[in-house]
Amino acid sequence: MDQTENETKSPRLGTETADGATSPPRPALASPAMPAARRSLLSRLPLGLREDAPRWQVALMGLLGIAACFGIWWFVTRGEAEERILSPSSGISSPSETFATFHSLWFDRALTRNLLTSLRRVASGFGLATAVGVPLGILCGCFTRVDAFFLPVTVFGRNIPVAALIPLTFSLFGIGELQKTMFIFIACVAFIVSDTARSIREVRESYVDSAYTLGAGRWQAIMKVLVPLALPGVFNSLRLLFSLAFGYIMLAEVVKFGGESGGLGDIINTSQRRGPREHVVLVLLIIPVVALAIDKALLWIQRELFPYRYGGVGVLHSLVRALMHGWEDLKGLVWRRPLPASIAGELAGPPQARRDGQTGGPRT
Amino acid sequence: MAAGQPKPAFYVALAAVVLGLIAFAVYRKDVVAPRPGQPQEEAKDGGGPIEPKGLEQAAESTDATSPTTVKEYKFVPAEKLPPVKGTGKYKPLEQNNNTVRFALNIWAGWAPIVLANDGFKAGKEWKTADGKPFKLDLVLIDNPVAMRDAYASGEVHIGWGTLDMVPLFLEGFVDSQGKPKDSTIMPRIYQQVDFSNGGDGIVVRENIKTVADLRGKKMVMAQNSPSQYFALNTLVSGGVQPSEVQMIYTDDAFQAAAAFNSQKDIAACVSWAPDIYNLSSVKGNRMLVTTKEANHLVADIWFARADFARDHEPILEAITRGIFDAMEQLKSDDARQKVSGLMAAGYSIPAKDALGMLGDAHSTNWAENFQFFLNQNNPTNFERVWQRAYYLYRRIGSIQHQPVPFDQVMDFSIIQKLGKEEKYASQKSEYGTMAPAKDLQTVKGESEEILTNTVVLHFFPNSWDPFKKVERTVDGKAREELYDPNVNNVLEEIAQLAGQFGAARIVIEGHTDGSMRGQVPAQLVKDLSLNRANAIKEALLQKYPSLDPNRFNADGVGWDRPADPADPDNHSKNRRVEVKVLTAERAA
Repeated sequence: MDQTENETKSPRLGTETADGATSPPRPALASPAMPAARRSLLSRLPLGLREDAPRWQVALMGLLGIAACFGIWWFVTRGEAEERILSPSSGISSPSETFATFHSLWFDRALTRNLLTSLRRVASGFGLATAVGVPLGILCGCFTRVDAFFLPVTVFGRNIPVAALIPLTFSLFGIGELQKTMFIFIACVAFIVSDTARSIREVRESYVDSAYTLGAGRWQAIMKVLVPLALPGVFNSLRLLFSLAFGYIMLAEVVKFGGESGGLGDIINTSQRRGPREHVVLVLLIIPVVALAIDKALLWIQRELFPYRYGGVGVLHSLVRALMHGWEDLKGLVWRRPLPASIAGELAGPPQARRDGQTGGPRT
Repeated sequence: MAAGQPKPAFYVALAAVVLGLIAFAVYRKDVVAPRPGQPQEEAKDGGGPIEPKGLEQAAESTDATSPTTVKEYKFVPAEKLPPVKGTGKYKPLEQNNNTVRFALNIWAGWAPIVLANDGFKAGKEWKTADGKPFKLDLVLIDNPVAMRDAYASGEVHIGWGTLDMVPLFLEGFVDSQGKPKDSTIMPRIYQQVDFSNGGDGIVVRENIKTVADLRGKKMVMAQNSPSQYFALNTLVSGGVQPSEVQMIYTDDAFQAAAAFNSQKDIAACVSWAPDIYNLSSVKGNRMLVTTKEANHLVADIWFARADFARDHEPILEAITRGIFDAMEQLKSDDARQKVSGLMAAGYSIPAKDALGMLGDAHSTNWAENFQFFLNQNNPTNFERVWQRAYYLYRRIGSIQHQPVPFDQVMDFSIIQKLGKEEKYASQKSEYGTMAPAKDLQTVKGESEEILTNTVVLHFFPNSWDPFKKVERTVDGKAREELYDPNVNNVLEEIAQLAGQFGAARIVIEGHTDGSMRGQVPAQLVKDLSLNRANAIKEALLQKYPSLDPNRFNADGVGWDRPADPADPDNHSKNRRVEVKVLTAERAA
């Protein structure tokens, strides 16, 4: 982050954090055009435009935000049931009443099992969508005609209310786990295809040209240049789309077999139908927490995989590269590449089979 | 893009084309953006208000023989039911360890099947009468639309519903003529599991005293649900046209309750337990009526796919037996504790909630099923509920197809067969305990009015015999005819009302016109109108012996209360009988 030096900075508290790029407090430059009286209190707040804040301040502001939400919640549900701004029958009880039912949610309704069930369904549906959507998206990004062929389907898939497809999924996939997985798959796959295709298209043409200049074939240009360069963007969009998949569990989990966990969607549906209503609120509070944890985990993976793009240490990146190199070396043992005709013709000469042992991605 | 710049003329031409298109769209707006047709215009039963009278059977013969308590249907169901073509399209049992899938919603009435199956999971070995084993998987699909879809795809073999919902399901299963599009998925209804008994209700603001006060007000409910059927019934019985009320529809009853909470201008909310009880305890709200009073209105049933029923009749019989036997077991406290544990596990709700649920419904044993399916004389039987649901839903436009006759979905063969066994035949109807007889003053003092239903009955002057016959000349021949040929229809209407509100007090008020005002003492007219009210009560109890006489009170009002205070001398309007439905004593 480069910061413009002549930006007016308010005095800030010096901090000892390691990464907080604190600059020494500087006297505020009062611009001559502006009388000093007009310098409002606001400008003295540490609110430099797009400046980095120390981590503890970030955390503090986050906590303050949460506290403010809880404060509002407490305020509208305080006092006797009849006196409240939001009566309990609106589905929102006071924070203390709500958290008092947590025990029952955890024990009577097997929160953890249902959470894991929902996570499993979301992950399998989304995993399948990734396995299908990313290769398709790569093809769409590379070949205009393939893209044109799939465009109607992806436009359709991105714009329909998926709830309308529930009856179709029943007919095609039954009412068991497969249907729930496939429902999430259908809800996500079109977004993955189009995001992947966009990432591929965003790779600058000059890279492809360079690859061709160096004698790469079409297949190599795709596998060694376009895909590695697009991967960070693909991964980033997958991370963001995962939370979309989470939003569909209420629709996906409308059928519950006896003896299996219905999942969080079933807990919400049942609580709305029969109570306790507090559990709806609790589940709605739990889902974002879980989603945030998953998002953070994915973000870490993303940083480690693509340190050159997202600034991680690069542990996973090195690991993957080691594996890829190992694979490239092993490939010679199990797979014999025919020599190019021109070379095969002059067997007398030293063999010059191209052995690219390098991934196409930019080096760090 | 082609090279070059468009000239001004181009823009002029473009504007002309655009304006021309807009002008054409406005000119033919009935084609470009047609208004949706009003259901009232499309109603196929002719226009006019929805009359409770429209709900009775067509042209009942005025049977002069003295009515009996039970008049069984004589037809054989198999001869009426539409034939099933082709092979079954349901999930084959062999693929699935002989497991039948039975869809449920979250509802007290399913306690017997949960108990009979030892929980939701397929585990217990069931046996058909001829010794073939099968298993039962209870699948929770609370959303009726999702349930219908799962049923139609053949993934579940047996669906849940209230009887009034089935015509709505059929809207997708039959063509506009009421003929099955696909004979394999037509429902076959074999058994009633319960009557809603407090599980559904209408909560209103405090200023709404009776159903009549809902005129012009806003009412919120889940569309195409038992809530809507309950609301339509209550309105029509109370003399309010659904078109006079602003209906606000939500997707489910939970949302209806939430809307009622947030919008103070909504006067009434139709929902279910526990929402109605939570809502009614809020200051400024009160409960107008629940299925505790209207306890013969919402009937829960299960239905099997026609192809499954054709191939696996013995399984359906075994399930019917299992449900009946579990109902008997559930009279013990141990079984109730056990079933609430099983339901808590299956619905994944806290066990105490499951136990609290059980009171929302009254399980209907074999004797009550017999009354429901087979007794033509029962004012709240299958056929009447079926026709009423069709009538109401067609009139508001929720159903477009020609009604499917009730005997194309009702199959009472299993109920009939079980009746040959002592175990079932000896059962007695246990619903609606006999109310203590009370005099009119006490009833009026203790109960609150829910609704007043006005029926017009013409008595022969100075007579109180509703069946008074007079000589009329028809085609040159003298014939004895009823003075008011409509009397049987009126009695049917009152019986249906009294039957539906099976736990409410009914006051029959006789009114006279004021034509002799000032010429005869008022008391004489009061006596006459009381005699008329009593005569109606007697005729009603004679025609429908299943009604409890203690619930009825007669009252003679004379000419004191004209039907329309603004038009007190409208004699024909004033010669009438009013049927008031009052709550049972709240204290009870």
